[in-house]
Amino acid sequence: MNMKIINYQIGGWLLLPLFSSFFITSQVRAEESIAFTLSSTIKERIAKESSPVIRVSYHDVSNEFAPFIKKGVEKAAADFKVDVKLVGPVGADAEKQVAEIESLIQKGVDGLAISSVSTDALAPVINRALAQGIPVVTYNTDNPTSKRLAFAGQDLVESGRIAGKLLADTLDGKGNVLITTLDAAAQWSLDREKGAREALAQYPGIKVLATINTGTEPQQIYSSVENAVLAHPDVNGILSLECCSTPAAGDYVQRNGLTGKVKIVGFDMLPETIKLVQGNIISATIDQAPEKQSYEAVRLLLDVLKGKEIKSVDTGAAVYDSKNIGDYLIASKKGS
Amino acid sequence: MEQTAVQTSRARHGLARRLLRMFAVRETGILLALLIICAFLSFATTGFLALRNLLNIGRQISLLGVMAIGMTFVLITREVDLSVGSIYAFSGLTTGILLVKGWLLPPALLFGLVIGAAIGFVNGLLSTYGKLPSFIATLGMLSVVRGSALLLTDGQPVTVNTSQGGRSDVIEQFYFLGQGHLFNVVPMLLVIFIVVALAAWWLLSRTVFGFRVYAVGGSEKAARLSGIQVFQTKILTFMLMGLLSGFAGILSLAFLPSGQAGRTGVGLELDVIAAAIVGGASLSGGEGTILGTVLGVLIIGVLRNGLVLLGISPFWQTTIIGLVIIFAVALDKWTENRRLK
Repeated sequence: MNMKIINYQIGGWLLLPLFSSFFITSQVRAEESIAFTLSSTIKERIAKESSPVIRVSYHDVSNEFAPFIKKGVEKAAADFKVDVKLVGPVGADAEKQVAEIESLIQKGVDGLAISSVSTDALAPVINRALAQGIPVVTYNTDNPTSKRLAFAGQDLVESGRIAGKLLADTLDGKGNVLITTLDAAAQWSLDREKGAREALAQYPGIKVLATINTGTEPQQIYSSVENAVLAHPDVNGILSLECCSTPAAGDYVQRNGLTGKVKIVGFDMLPETIKLVQGNIISATIDQAPEKQSYEAVRLLLDVLKGKEIKSVDTGAAVYDSKNIGDYLIASKKGS
Repeated sequence: MEQTAVQTSRARHGLARRLLRMFAVRETGILLALLIICAFLSFATTGFLALRNLLNIGRQISLLGVMAIGMTFVLITREVDLSVGSIYAFSGLTTGILLVKGWLLPPALLFGLVIGAAIGFVNGLLSTYGKLPSFIATLGMLSVVRGSALLLTDGQPVTVNTSQGGRSDVIEQFYFLGQGHLFNVVPMLLVIFIVVALAAWWLLSRTVFGFRVYAVGGSEKAARLSGIQVFQTKILTFMLMGLLSGFAGILSLAFLPSGQAGRTGVGLELDVIAAAIVGGASLSGGEGTILGTVLGVLIIGVLRNGLVLLGISPFWQTTIIGLVIIFAVALDKWTENRRLK
């Protein structure tokens, strides 16, 4: 018993310097943020009118969004006639992403657009690039702890708020809600959940039953939704925070005769999601226009190279339901 | 009076001995663990014992089960296959693409299965004639096959429905495999799992091939001396593993008509190995049964379902399942000596 107490005390003393050093570094960080200056080598290269080399690092080039992000990058390459390529790890992996960016810095690039797999893991390498005079903007998933010049993407907390309000209105302000996410601990998920819970809290008749962490494997996602609904038979609404538990929730509701009894609001425009929105099984889905995010990121970098001031770009959150989903289909057909 | 006492004592003795003998059978320990978990859940939750929930568990474990059965064969021969999650994705997505292109169900299905078996064949060759430890060979193949699936689909999700192309009657048949119910009650996936388990049980315990699998895993040298073609047997088990992984992947796409090469089946290999190990298969070869593996898969499925019904936080669920794996195997090892006596 005594031993235990001593151990805790030692633990406490060991932790104290850790905490204090954290506060000190964060203070220093805030003071350090000086204006960014473009490196002389990049300036020279741009002056010679050779086309700038820009790399767009995405946190997982093998996920559902990568093709959309890639589309935006390709469009930017064609529109601006610059050397732009999509890079990034297969499978969300912070170490691999950092290592690749480090070698890009080494090789020499004129600009980096980065969607961070993890804020803390990527912030140092972003700051190092900036310190060497390479402009860095973030897109899709922001890195607010770094000194990135600007962010192109959706305001995640706001998108969560929109989703929460949509579901609450669909439920006429009363009901029991489950929140599903494929990675409850990820920053984007925490942000959207925060917004969603804020919005739902505005409605006294709505109760959030639980947040379900579904995991990322499709079968696992479906089983998690299934188990969660069985564990909460009183559920009336499911709010999915991302691409992939949205269609899973829709499939589950449709197959178990719960259409109309359990309302769903989710995110993104996967083919299965579009079908379920058309069939009114998913009440609404929120598009985050991923192509626009990578495209805008490249545009921001080019502005920096031209010496322009840049500001973050909100790429917005478009809401689609069974009435206007046709517009999306027509627009995406035109686009491709 | 005296006589009856003797009789009851004898009967009791007999019963005790029979019980002891039952415990001597490997699977009894696993079955007991499963029953304890089920008993606890039926008291602690409402709805665990409901027929619908039990059938759901059956469906949820079926794909893992089909693969764990293949893994049992591989583990018995003292090998391991880490590429199963990638094969699951590659075969499933291939069949999906073919269906969307308008192929009929049998050829599309067969094509996916052949791909699975072919990858298994390569795994087998590398681990036998190639002289690579199967851990390394299949670790490499895990990446090669996953990468191939990404190249094949260019990272785009594959969705099997009529609006993507594909004949409506064929899609209907395909959906029945994954989403249908036998007699409108029993999920088809569960039916398929049961059929695969029975066939595998017969193959492993009633055929020459099964005997060879155990012989190779027990002692490769002894097996070779007694004229068993060790390499051939191992290659066949890898092919069976590949075939079953591919089959599970195809069924997965039939159940959820959308798959994605970067996500489908990622990390599945560890679940599959864990299920077989909990069921009594050993990484050092020579041990394992189909019944044991089925029970192992059930334990994992029941736990996952039960922990959600209990409303336990998802982070705890992950931790508890890990602890159960360790505890199940430890219990098995600690009671090993007693059983062998």
